[in-house]
Amino acid sequence: MRKHLAEAQEIEQYLLANMSAPARLVFQARMLVAPALREKVKYQRKTMQLVRWLAREEKRRQLDTLLQQMLQDKPFNDSITSIFK
Amino acid sequence: MRTPEDQWLEDLYRNTLPRVAAMVYRMGGHLEMAKDIFQDAVIIYLEKQQAQKLPPGVPAEAYITGIARILSIRKLKKSGTAVSLDEMTGEISVPADYYAPPPVSRPVLDYVRAAGKRCLKLLQAFYYDHHSLTDIAADFNFKTPHSASVQKYKCLEKVREQIKQSDYAETLS
Repeated sequence: MRKHLAEAQEIEQYLLANMSAPARLVFQARMLVAPALREKVKYQRKTMQLVRWLAREEKRRQLDTLLQQMLQDKPFNDSITSIFK
Repeated sequence: MRTPEDQWLEDLYRNTLPRVAAMVYRMGGHLEMAKDIFQDAVIIYLEKQQAQKLPPGVPAEAYITGIARILSIRKLKKSGTAVSLDEMTGEISVPADYYAPPPVSRPVLDYVRAAGKRCLKLLQAFYYDHHSLTDIAADFNFKTPHSASVQKYKCLEKVREQIKQSDYAETLS
């Protein structure tokens, strides 16, 4: 794997807490002295958060579509809406 | 085509949504709130299932109702003592970032979403759905799991750089 991809892999292991304790300490020490690495970690963390955020948004859309379809069924619709009357 | 998961979800909605809706109503919530709370509870359940972090032996309906109860208490700002919490609630947790705002601004979000659709799908399969590289290779037509892994890191770098560049552009503007 090319060097920069290996670095992305190393950052991933750090962010997913898949590093041994000594390796984690070494990595944190490297971040302290390397602003470029620190910045890559920051943006890779944001990327992983974004992936999760977008996946949840998509899941919400899928579930909403399912519910809208199910609410076309009158008995089911009534069983929910009658609770709030 | 209808999948077993679709059927499972439909059964879940039929059997559990009325129970959750009644609970939300008792706490003073309204219909839309009940739908949102139930939907979020299902998503949290599915995430824990995919990550294999569910407590053993707890039926899905009971777990989802438990999560919905926690979410209802949070949303309706009632104290825990006003609602009976059974023992199982201790095993239930809501991800800390679940209601977090998007990690990037809306224009950056739209840009990344438009520029890297396939990459985002690939990253989602790995980081969110927790699919194995073997399954990802098959789903995304890679020859080997190693090729899928290399592509995953390329995508990670690509999206990471897109976010960084957009962030810089926003800071300057």
